[in-house]
Amino acid sequence: MTSTEDDQSFEDPAEALRLIEAEQANLERELTPDPRLMFWPWGVTWLIGSMLFFLRFGPDGRILVDMPGWLPSAVFVTLIAAAGATSAVVGTRSSRQVSGPTARQGTMYGFAWSAGFAGMSIVFARLSAVVPELYIGILWGGGMVALVGAIFMAGAAIFNDTNMFTLGAWISGVNVIGVLAGPGWHALIISIAGGGGLLVAGLIGWLRLR
Amino acid sequence: MSDETLPDLDPVIHAQARLRVISALSKLNTEDRIAFPRLQEILRMTAGNLSVHLRKLEEAGYVEVTKTHHGRTPATLIHLTRRGRRAFEDYVTALRTLITPPEEP
Repeated sequence: MTSTEDDQSFEDPAEALRLIEAEQANLERELTPDPRLMFWPWGVTWLIGSMLFFLRFGPDGRILVDMPGWLPSAVFVTLIAAAGATSAVVGTRSSRQVSGPTARQGTMYGFAWSAGFAGMSIVFARLSAVVPELYIGILWGGGMVALVGAIFMAGAAIFNDTNMFTLGAWISGVNVIGVLAGPGWHALIISIAGGGGLLVAGLIGWLRLR
Repeated sequence: MSDETLPDLDPVIHAQARLRVISALSKLNTEDRIAFPRLQEILRMTAGNLSVHLRKLEEAGYVEVTKTHHGRTPATLIHLTRRGRRAFEDYVTALRTLITPPEEP
């Protein structure tokens, strides 16, 4: 049985085109993870976590704010875990009940993040014993942020997302500047330019989808 | 409007509900499939209504409906066929032609 109203056709072709565009945009919005939920938790993580490192392990080994040495890492790791969990939940939710190549791409991309971070952590943990303390922040921060920038650019290639590519390129660029500027400065630059970049990317992505 | 205004529009697609269904499906990547409840939620249609229109699209060969299992839960997956995608593209082209007729004779 078909309701007559739903079987109605339209006299105006422009109205049909508008309906097509509206439904296509609606499906895209439903299947795309909310950029605010994907990027903002990371932006806040970098902003706060990296700022704490800058304040505790400042340029030339200066301590700008006296706090326990373990505190910045503890806060950073906690924030990363929360942001990672949010990304996983939001990403999985948006692709639920959709199967095929796109879902597979998303899963493989997720694994690339995990494998990259696990691999880097093991390398850096082994090196931390022999690297001078002043450069530990550059080792971990510079290495991890380089990885993030590259994976964002690769993700942009997979999902054909220019917004994400700009973000990845921006992060890669400010990371190099930070590493060249030296210990302490790197943390400050990543906090403001990196964290800020993530917040802006979330906002732009959301405005485009709306 | 007279009948000759809309001469070439595919009657399977040219109905509000089915146009909504096929428009949404057209936005999925070519080989992706979407489960019935999710499509229903996205389109904000009742299950009965969506079934009726999917059947018509299936009869025309525009949509493929596959029954499968995710673990123990049965799942119905929907996919726009190559033929359906072409029919939809032709329909959109026809609409555009109706709005701005080509200038050549």
